[in-house]
Amino acid sequence: MAQRYREPVTPPGPSTAAADPLVADLRRALAPDRVRTEDLELALYGRDASGIDAGGRAAVVCLPETTEEVAACVRAARAHGRPFVARGAGTGLAGGAVPVGEPVVIVTTRMTRILEVDPDERVAWVQPGVLNLDLTRHLATWDLHFAPDPSSQQACTIGGNVANNSGGPHCLRDGVTSAHVVALEVVLPDGSVTVLGALDPEPGGYDLRGAFVGSEGCLGIATRVAVRLTPNPPAVRTLLADFASVEDAAATVSAVIAAGIVPAALEMMDARITAAVEDYVGAGYPRDAAAVLLVELDGLPAGVEAHAAEVVRLATAHGARAVRVAADDAERALLWKGRKSAFGAVARILPDYYLHDTVVPRTRLVEVLRRVYQIAERHDLVVVNVFHAGDGNLHPLLLFDRRVPGVMDRVHAAGEEIVAASLEAGGVLSGEHGIGLEKKAYMDRLFGPDDLDAQARLREAFDPDGAANPDKVLPAGARCGDLQRAPEGAWI
Amino acid sequence: MTGTLDGFAAEVGPAEPVTVVGGRTQWSVGGAPAEDVREVRAPAGIVAHEPAELTVRVRAGTTVAELDAALAEHGQMVPLDPPDPERATVGGVLAVGRSGIRRLGRGPVRDCLLEARYVSAEGRVVKAGGPTVKNVSGFDLCRLLVGSLGTLGLLAEVVVRVSPRPAASRWLQAAGADPFALRRRLLGASSILWDGATTWVLLEGHPADVDAESAVVTSVAGGAAAVAEVAGPPPLPAGGRLSARPSALRDLRTGDHAGFVAEVGVGVVHTTAPVPPPPLAGPRELHRRIKAVFDPTGRLNPGRSVVTA
Amino acid sequence: MSGRADEREAVPPETAAGAEPAPAPGRAPLAVAPGPLRVDDAELAACVSCGLCLPHCPTWRVTGAELLSPRGRIAAMRAVQWGGAELDGTFVRAMDTCVQCRGCEPACPSGVPFGRLMEGTREALAFGAGRGRGAYQPWWRRLGYEVLGRHRLLLAGSTALAVAQRLRLVPERVDRSLPRLSLRRPRLRRSNVTGEPVWLFTGCVMDAWQRDVHVATIAVLEAAGARVRLPGDPGCCGALHAHAGLRAGAERLARRVIAALPGDDPVLVSSAGCGAALKDYGHLLGTPEAERFARRVLDVHEWLAARADRLPPPVRPLAGPVAVQDPCHLRHVQRAHPSVRAVLAPYATLVELDDEGLCCGAGGTYSALQPDLAAGIRARKLEAIGRTGAAVVASANPGCALHLAAAGVDARHPMTLVAEAAGLPG
Ligand SMILES: Cc1cc2nc3c(=O)[nH]c(=O)nc-3n(C[C@H](O)[C@H](O)[C@H](O)COP(=O)(O)OP(=O)(O)OC[C@H]3O[C@@H](n4cnc5c(N)ncnc54)[C@H](O)[C@@H]3O)c2cc1C
Ligand code: SF4
Ligand code: SF4
Repeated sequence: MAQRYREPVTPPGPSTAAADPLVADLRRALAPDRVRTEDLELALYGRDASGIDAGGRAAVVCLPETTEEVAACVRAARAHGRPFVARGAGTGLAGGAVPVGEPVVIVTTRMTRILEVDPDERVAWVQPGVLNLDLTRHLATWDLHFAPDPSSQQACTIGGNVANNSGGPHCLRDGVTSAHVVALEVVLPDGSVTVLGALDPEPGGYDLRGAFVGSEGCLGIATRVAVRLTPNPPAVRTLLADFASVEDAAATVSAVIAAGIVPAALEMMDARITAAVEDYVGAGYPRDAAAVLLVELDGLPAGVEAHAAEVVRLATAHGARAVRVAADDAERALLWKGRKSAFGAVARILPDYYLHDTVVPRTRLVEVLRRVYQIAERHDLVVVNVFHAGDGNLHPLLLFDRRVPGVMDRVHAAGEEIVAASLEAGGVLSGEHGIGLEKKAYMDRLFGPDDLDAQARLREAFDPDGAANPDKVLPAGARCGDLQRAPEGAWI
Repeated sequence: MTGTLDGFAAEVGPAEPVTVVGGRTQWSVGGAPAEDVREVRAPAGIVAHEPAELTVRVRAGTTVAELDAALAEHGQMVPLDPPDPERATVGGVLAVGRSGIRRLGRGPVRDCLLEARYVSAEGRVVKAGGPTVKNVSGFDLCRLLVGSLGTLGLLAEVVVRVSPRPAASRWLQAAGADPFALRRRLLGASSILWDGATTWVLLEGHPADVDAESAVVTSVAGGAAAVAEVAGPPPLPAGGRLSARPSALRDLRTGDHAGFVAEVGVGVVHTTAPVPPPPLAGPRELHRRIKAVFDPTGRLNPGRSVVTA
Repeated sequence: MSGRADEREAVPPETAAGAEPAPAPGRAPLAVAPGPLRVDDAELAACVSCGLCLPHCPTWRVTGAELLSPRGRIAAMRAVQWGGAELDGTFVRAMDTCVQCRGCEPACPSGVPFGRLMEGTREALAFGAGRGRGAYQPWWRRLGYEVLGRHRLLLAGSTALAVAQRLRLVPERVDRSLPRLSLRRPRLRRSNVTGEPVWLFTGCVMDAWQRDVHVATIAVLEAAGARVRLPGDPGCCGALHAHAGLRAGAERLARRVIAALPGDDPVLVSSAGCGAALKDYGHLLGTPEAERFARRVLDVHEWLAARADRLPPPVRPLAGPVAVQDPCHLRHVQRAHPSVRAVLAPYATLVELDDEGLCCGAGGTYSALQPDLAAGIRARKLEAIGRTGAAVVASANPGCALHLAAAGVDARHPMTLVAEAAGLPG
């Protein structure tokens, strides 16, 4: 068998991070090569896919392989008075894994084992570093899959999905990550290990599982995840409807939902991105459409056929110029390839993008979209829209070239106005990417002081010292008053 | 509509124990509230229902039956499925957090709560979550509130996710059909109940699919003679409620717990004999701290507790 | 020495052999930033750090380390190129551990040309950019690359290596990465049938170590109606030099290859790594001549797939299923891997690996230079092969086949399999 590859280890020297006594403790707990201290390596863990630089940097990076090792890392960090940050693949778009200050960064990319699959109960235990798409591929043997399918699913980890409560095109009907996690083993911020939730349906106590999912690493580190598995549908229909106006496309979305149809996925792309995608991958998208809708229906065959026919009828009634129904799997794959290549197509228009992720009520899509275009125009920026129309989850992409002087200011100003427009329409800050560092400052626009205080209390219960991923999600000062201590046992 | 959120908050006030009353249909879950505690009622009424949003904003004191009737007009429903919908309130069902027997098809109650406005122990109206079907803005307090028995805050108004009513729905009763085989083979079953001998199946969806799946039931049951269409589920024993891993149901034998009806694929077992409450999931100390940060003086629903073991 | 002379066509005299060429006209100048790396600034800027390439990177898969991922390597290049970071040992390790499989390229939505960035970085490193620590390619490695350029030397050396291997003279570290080398090397024969004229590029390592593949390839091509021409001594394609950052050497070899394969006939290559290199000559040399040449290059399977109706009948189809292993330079670089399936399908039941073409760790000289990492990468491949249940693996690249064979896999070139199943002399 192959000899195990080990990374070289820098010996502790006077001026290096390796000299920190914390490092010695960590090296005792983990194999020494899985505790990294070289400057360059530490710098690389200073960013994630958001590109946000918080001015912080990893004090040391740990790559544990087991729950016990994660717990040991957390305990060592705490013993040396350091905060810690969990990190998966670093595909997060809100800066959740970006270090602030000099925390210990605990990376789960070596925790990649699928521990147990129970096809009968439709549940699997996995380590947090398992990649979303790897899991679904692994499950193909049993004709099952993991339903949340973020566009980054090839690269993002289940732990990251749990922490961000990630969604994807197919979450319209099947729900986001929270609905697909039944239990979690976590290392709490004090270094203890516990299981939240259970494999039985009504475990006793508060739904701490539910509270942990979406907590962006601020309540602890998930070390094992019991995910719910979904059977692959026996029938699938994918349609592409081509519209001469965004209004018609949006009206179709509302009409489909109002008709009692909840498609597996319902995605919209505007004119500019449709043309760009077509130029890029040649999926047969109409280059001159003002908007296209990609609709996927799946389930039992008769229902799928009936709903597909109804969607075609509704789209046509709302002015669709053409509706293309994929004839086979190959054509289906091609239509999806268009949608999934949107990011790549965008990169070919301009090198950089800034992606917002607000959600607005479905009925106000058109109005908010119109405002998004106006905002971009006012700031002299290119904007394209490709988004989860079914659940009102907008993804306006502001395109720019960061080498143009002053452009970042315009991008940020436009972004702020887009967020404001979404909130004014009764929407929320983030549909799936989370708050992290990026939207922390906007939290008080969505929540009042009492609301933020309540969230801060949850964090305080899990992490009284604020050691887990500090300075994320909640703006400073979210916790209002000091706690009165409850008398022990007063309520039990 | 009765009452306002601020009115409810004022009624709850900042001090002294209070208990919130819904329909008293699950009054003893988590222990009956302490006696002589002031009772309050959440406001009632449907605030907004926009069918194309697949959401409804409703006051917590509304009965499930009233909400269901309003949604039915638009061919929609909520996955709140209590045994006594005429009396049970929306807030009460969410606070207790128990899903109905259609959980297999409709998902657990905990997934449907999108936004909650509750009155905190300090007597203030607090918002958790948001009104849209997708939202990851901040910590998910909604999940924590579902099943919290009103011990962290008193639900005043909620936004819940609704879904279309199925085009067809059919209960079948199949004597001797292996419920676990049905669980494996049916994709459109919203409920599979089993008492150790007889199996009941609720099929929902497009009529043709319901027919096709009915044929599956017939084949698993070993012939049409063994299968009958029935009006609804069997009466559920009300002595106790067990939570078991779905696979553990295989070990149940007729007459266990003095008679039972098990939700196959879910793991809830309704028993005739009383059963002990489920053990606590997660550390007791963490539960204590959560209660302590949200209700430092223990004034919300004293006597009731999610920590039963 | 190989003993008998092969029937090869005469080599036109090499032009300007060894001399450093003047930059070709028409070749776009690199917009090289002030930093020490020979990379294009805009290409380096194209990465948006999305991380979508990570799972396609074998070294990230094995280590989970950001430093050993495409995104991490790009960030490291940026730190050096733009941020004035030191070219320290950590940086060199990040670059040295890259297999140059280019699995990250097709995965990248932003179209970052990672292979070019890495070659430019290695080029800088190879010539002493690593301040004061001298050339990064040590003398013995350069000598190795030198040998690759000299075909006769390699043939002789291979025989010597084969003998040495039998006598257990090869150090264990090197031996682990090599299979038993064959001592018998069949003689190559230029085909004299009439038919569509094609060149078969014979290369260096492949010609030395897997000559039977050439024999089978010629037989299959002829059966499909080709008249196969063999170049004299085309020498090495230069891929390994380019990967190592030895650009001048690569350019010199490229000119020699082009000279050895004159005319307009298609140039067929049965080694995916060489094919990728030949197809890149236009970019490497930047001359119209080189571009014209590059357009003539086809992987042998590409040529055959377009003539699937002329493939010889399967007289004895292979018994068990055959797993198709896609060499990186066929899949990620040439993107011609479907043609292998089209060609093999009539002769065997094909099964796919479920690892999306993740590298096997061979990577030219990589398996010798980074044996532990290469073995770790290979272990994943072996697991994927194991999951298919196939006993035979088809691999259209000699390096991959050797690397897998060293771990006990029955890895064979698709041409060998076709020849066998079609009952052709092989
Ligand atoms: C091109 C692109 C497309 C995307 N598309 C989508 C999409 O469609 N839908 C969507 O929801 N998201 C999307 N994302 C965002 C991102 O991929 C998801 O948020 C993903 O879940 C992050 O996973 P990760 O492993 O990369 O986590 P990281 O980025 O490493 O970390 C994210 C957060 O999770 C925490 N964390 C990580 N692991 C753990 C753990 N084990 N325990 C506790 N906390 C942990 C971190 O501290 C951090 O706060 C996209 C990103 C990109 C780059
Ligand atoms: S070329 Fe291969 S090894 Fe190198 S970074 Fe890209 S994927 Fe990784
Ligand atoms: S996929 Fe491309 S853009 Fe994304 S991190 Fe990798 S190289 Fe950079």
